[in-house]
Amino acid sequence: MVFLFIALPLVVAGILPLVGKISKKVLPDLLVNSVFVILLALVFFEGRGLVAQDAAIKQLFWFGEPLNIRLMLDGFSLFMLFAVSLVGFAISLFSIDYMDHYGSKANFYALFLVMIAGMNGLLLVTDLFQIYIFLEVAAVASYALVAFGLGQDELEASFKYLMLSAVASAFLLAGIVIIFGVTGGLDFETVSQGLRALDARYLVGLCAAFFILGFGLKAALVPFHAWLPDAHPSAPAPISAALSGLLIKVSGVYALTRVFLNVFGLTPALSTVLMYLGVISMVVAALLALGQTDIKRMLAYSSISQVGYIVLGIGLGTPLGILGGLFHLFNHALAKSLLFLNSGSIQMSTGTRNLDEMGGLGKRMPVTAGTTLIGSLAIAGVPPLNGFWSKLIIIVALVQAKQWAFALIAVLVSVLTLWYYLVIQRKAFFGQLNERWSAVREAPFWMTVSTVLLALLCIATGIFFAGTVNSWIRPAADALVKGVQTTLGSLGF
Amino acid sequence: MTGPMLLLPIFLPVAIALIAILIPSRVRYVREGISVLGSVVLLYFGYAFFTIKDLTWKVSWLGNGMDFDLRLYHFSAFILLGLAGFLFLITLYSTVKMKNVPRVREYYAYVFLTAAFANGATLSNNFVPLIFFWEGLLLTLYGLITIGGKDSNRTAVKSFILGGFCDFSMILGVAILWKITGTLTLSEISVKPEGLAAVSFILMVIGAIGKAGAMPFHTWIPDAAIDAPVSVMAFIPAALEKLLGIYFLARITLDFFQLEKNSTLAIVLMTIGAATIVLAVFMALIQKDFKRLLSYHAVSQVGYMILGIGTAVPIGIAGGIFHMINHAMYKCGLFLSSGSVEHRCGTTELKKLGGMRQEMPLTAFGFAVCALAISGVWPLNGFVSKEMVFHGAVETGYIVFAIAAWVGAILTFASFLKAGHSVFLGPRSQDVPAVKESESPVLIPILTLAGLCILFGVYNKLPLKGFIEPILEGHVEAGEHLDFSSHALALFNPIALISVGCLVIALLLHLYGWRKAGQKAYLASEPVHKFPVIKQIYDLAERRIFDIYEQGVRFLKWLSGVLFKLIDRPIDAVYEKGVTAVGRAFTGLLQAAHTGHYANYLAWSIGGLLAVAGIISLLLR
Repeated sequence: MVFLFIALPLVVAGILPLVGKISKKVLPDLLVNSVFVILLALVFFEGRGLVAQDAAIKQLFWFGEPLNIRLMLDGFSLFMLFAVSLVGFAISLFSIDYMDHYGSKANFYALFLVMIAGMNGLLLVTDLFQIYIFLEVAAVASYALVAFGLGQDELEASFKYLMLSAVASAFLLAGIVIIFGVTGGLDFETVSQGLRALDARYLVGLCAAFFILGFGLKAALVPFHAWLPDAHPSAPAPISAALSGLLIKVSGVYALTRVFLNVFGLTPALSTVLMYLGVISMVVAALLALGQTDIKRMLAYSSISQVGYIVLGIGLGTPLGILGGLFHLFNHALAKSLLFLNSGSIQMSTGTRNLDEMGGLGKRMPVTAGTTLIGSLAIAGVPPLNGFWSKLIIIVALVQAKQWAFALIAVLVSVLTLWYYLVIQRKAFFGQLNERWSAVREAPFWMTVSTVLLALLCIATGIFFAGTVNSWIRPAADALVKGVQTTLGSLGF
Repeated sequence: MTGPMLLLPIFLPVAIALIAILIPSRVRYVREGISVLGSVVLLYFGYAFFTIKDLTWKVSWLGNGMDFDLRLYHFSAFILLGLAGFLFLITLYSTVKMKNVPRVREYYAYVFLTAAFANGATLSNNFVPLIFFWEGLLLTLYGLITIGGKDSNRTAVKSFILGGFCDFSMILGVAILWKITGTLTLSEISVKPEGLAAVSFILMVIGAIGKAGAMPFHTWIPDAAIDAPVSVMAFIPAALEKLLGIYFLARITLDFFQLEKNSTLAIVLMTIGAATIVLAVFMALIQKDFKRLLSYHAVSQVGYMILGIGTAVPIGIAGGIFHMINHAMYKCGLFLSSGSVEHRCGTTELKKLGGMRQEMPLTAFGFAVCALAISGVWPLNGFVSKEMVFHGAVETGYIVFAIAAWVGAILTFASFLKAGHSVFLGPRSQDVPAVKESESPVLIPILTLAGLCILFGVYNKLPLKGFIEPILEGHVEAGEHLDFSSHALALFNPIALISVGCLVIALLLHLYGWRKAGQKAYLASEPVHKFPVIKQIYDLAERRIFDIYEQGVRFLKWLSGVLFKLIDRPIDAVYEKGVTAVGRAFTGLLQAAHTGHYANYLAWSIGGLLAVAGIISLLLR
């Protein structure tokens, strides 16, 4: 069953180009959306049961022979799978109308599903090398997707993204090689035990630095972030949403968290480094976002800033901090994909992404304006929306851990966040209607359905945050906290 | 009858209000029929409740002692009956007077909601529902004033803010009292007004007299007289708010606190009463508009009630409460007769009116009876209750309060001579075309009220024995003389003789002014108006210098201006110039670093790696 999470998108991705020969639009749309519905159903009906029994480890067989592939589904993976399926579903709904004018919809969907399969695989594997493999699967698909428009900017952004990612992959691979060399194994358990028995702190410290570069670059932590503001805006809006909402979290934050909390063990040194990286990302990216006039670039910088929050919460390593970080991850996935989708709606209706050229669009595009407002307020952390609660939890956790300075910075950055989101609202939706846009129409049906769905989820998660936290986030945080406790202090550093 | 029946005076008007707002405005007769019928039913139940006099009903509501607790006993039954009576008369009157106003559906809805809230407040035996209903009145009053159109919004806001202030202090007082006694049930509270309890007393008194419209919380009433529909004036400031305010004041002084005769608080109360009488009647005297003149009297007469209750002697208290119901009747009658004149003549300016007695004889008669009653002419009800207040004031030993009350009596009569003379007597005015007497739904309430004024005066045993004296039972020492009716109409005692003398002075004053002004009755008050010193004070008053609302608004505007300049602007400057500039500077710096060159970015990443590795190895040490 667990295998389906990887196999289903992969298989459908394989047949989609063929289907595309028969039906240009309807069949691919139907196929992709049903994949996500099935994935969601799997999460709800299968996954929760499996996790409730205990972390389920699945050994894969090939014609009766056991393979060296074992999949594990614990609370953390399930939670991430849920986020991926949910946001993926919204994105695929949005793409029904949005991708019409790009052509070769089936190819687009195929690439998208490959990326999803890569992410799902990454979420389930139990082996450092397999992490690397699925990381690359998702990444290669995303290079192609960033360049999907085939314009000069897209190609340049994609190339830059590819080149920086290649560096990251190289260092990751180097780290994995060293680990394999010193512990003689690759799967999490062997490595974890091997590292504990070993006295090679500096070597392991070097590996940790490599991993931070590798995953930090995927997660776009400052100073490894420079590819993201080019790559994310260049992609088609649904892909921007998927990259910002999902990919950086799965291949960056998830992998980082998995490796450092469950394999290496979060030592004080690592915790400090992660927290500083988080805070620096938060502040620098928020300031950068403030100076943007391109709506998607602003959103992209905002993603970096919010990932900073997540890493800060998780890097803190206390149960509450991890809980807050994961909750913020989920909330940010919802809200940021909503905002990127809306930026797509705006771009589709007006043909521009420049905030200075917009103005008064709220009158012509009320649904887009309303959902953007909800998404903005959610990320900025205005009660009672979801972002408020997750930021609050992170800040409370910081205060409990006596990290006063970080708590203060976290509060101030959320003010900055509100600032640049209000800039979006003011320049794009409020004020006088720019003459140029007097004929602008609201986005088509499926696009608004998708954004409204996400906006409602933002509100519902905010209002019923206790329910969300208890049913999804807490099991995930528990799985991580267990890792912290078993490995903490066992290493020399 | 059972306890839940007590909900009827609250929910029946609410139901009628809902019906009134739902019925389309074209279906006039249905709405009016239901309203009049409903008020008759309420009047019947008012009477039925009055015969029972003892009923309670209680359900727990919000917890912590905040129960929905209704209690019918003698005093509340009396107020309930009075409210129902006025509601009936006003509804009847409105069928003619209000038939063409634009928001007639809202009007009926607000009137009946007002009745519901007033009944609820009267019946409440717990402070929480009491305050709930009390506050509701503020809203409906706001709505009713705005129906007047034109500039009525301003006045409505004024009444709302003044009322809100008084209600706020009442709530504060209730909260303190709750802290002291630990209960919110009205019938369980009885404390001495000392220390903190005295503060609570003052605050609650502000709430009560503010509702009754005493100075200095009265200033919306003269404005509303011009802006609001006249039936609203006759219903709310003239009748309903007097009943509620004085009812609550009497409850405060008799039940919740044991007010001692000539204690500091009693003297404070008497001072407020005396000041209200004199200051408001001075303003009333010089008014040139019929309704505005009446409205100042509505304020002035409250002074007698507060003075009477403040004396804390049985005859004074009884006089104050009796004056409350008397005032409600004749002031309602006066407003309604001014409305009748307005209805036919289209104006209430004294200057434009004159000699209306021939065309509107019944209105003139009703006005005359009510005007004589308010002036305290023997043998009308006003004479009886005022005499009782005078007696009470003299009995305290502070003659100054009695003198103030007499001054009030002189000017009251003088101003009504002026008003009646200007409107109904004298030569027929040329500014008004020929008119007819008003229709019977307008006249019936006026004449009913005039008849009641005569009845309550001549046969004062009925109200005194039936309504007033039972209220005092249990509140005065045993054996105290409680039969006031025996000497109520007695003329041959020093106090009554002084009162009669006052009336004579008033008549002379009026005739003098009338002659001096060249036989123009509306200028009869000019000698007083032009009197040195008094003239300057009048000028200041006309400029609203003494209006605490206007002054408060002016002060707040000044304060907000100062705060804006001294605090808001500098803070803004810090944000605009300081924070924004720093933010932009950093943003610019960071943006300049993002050149878009791959080599650059790669260098950062490698630099970052080195930094991370360095820091980790540093921390490992």
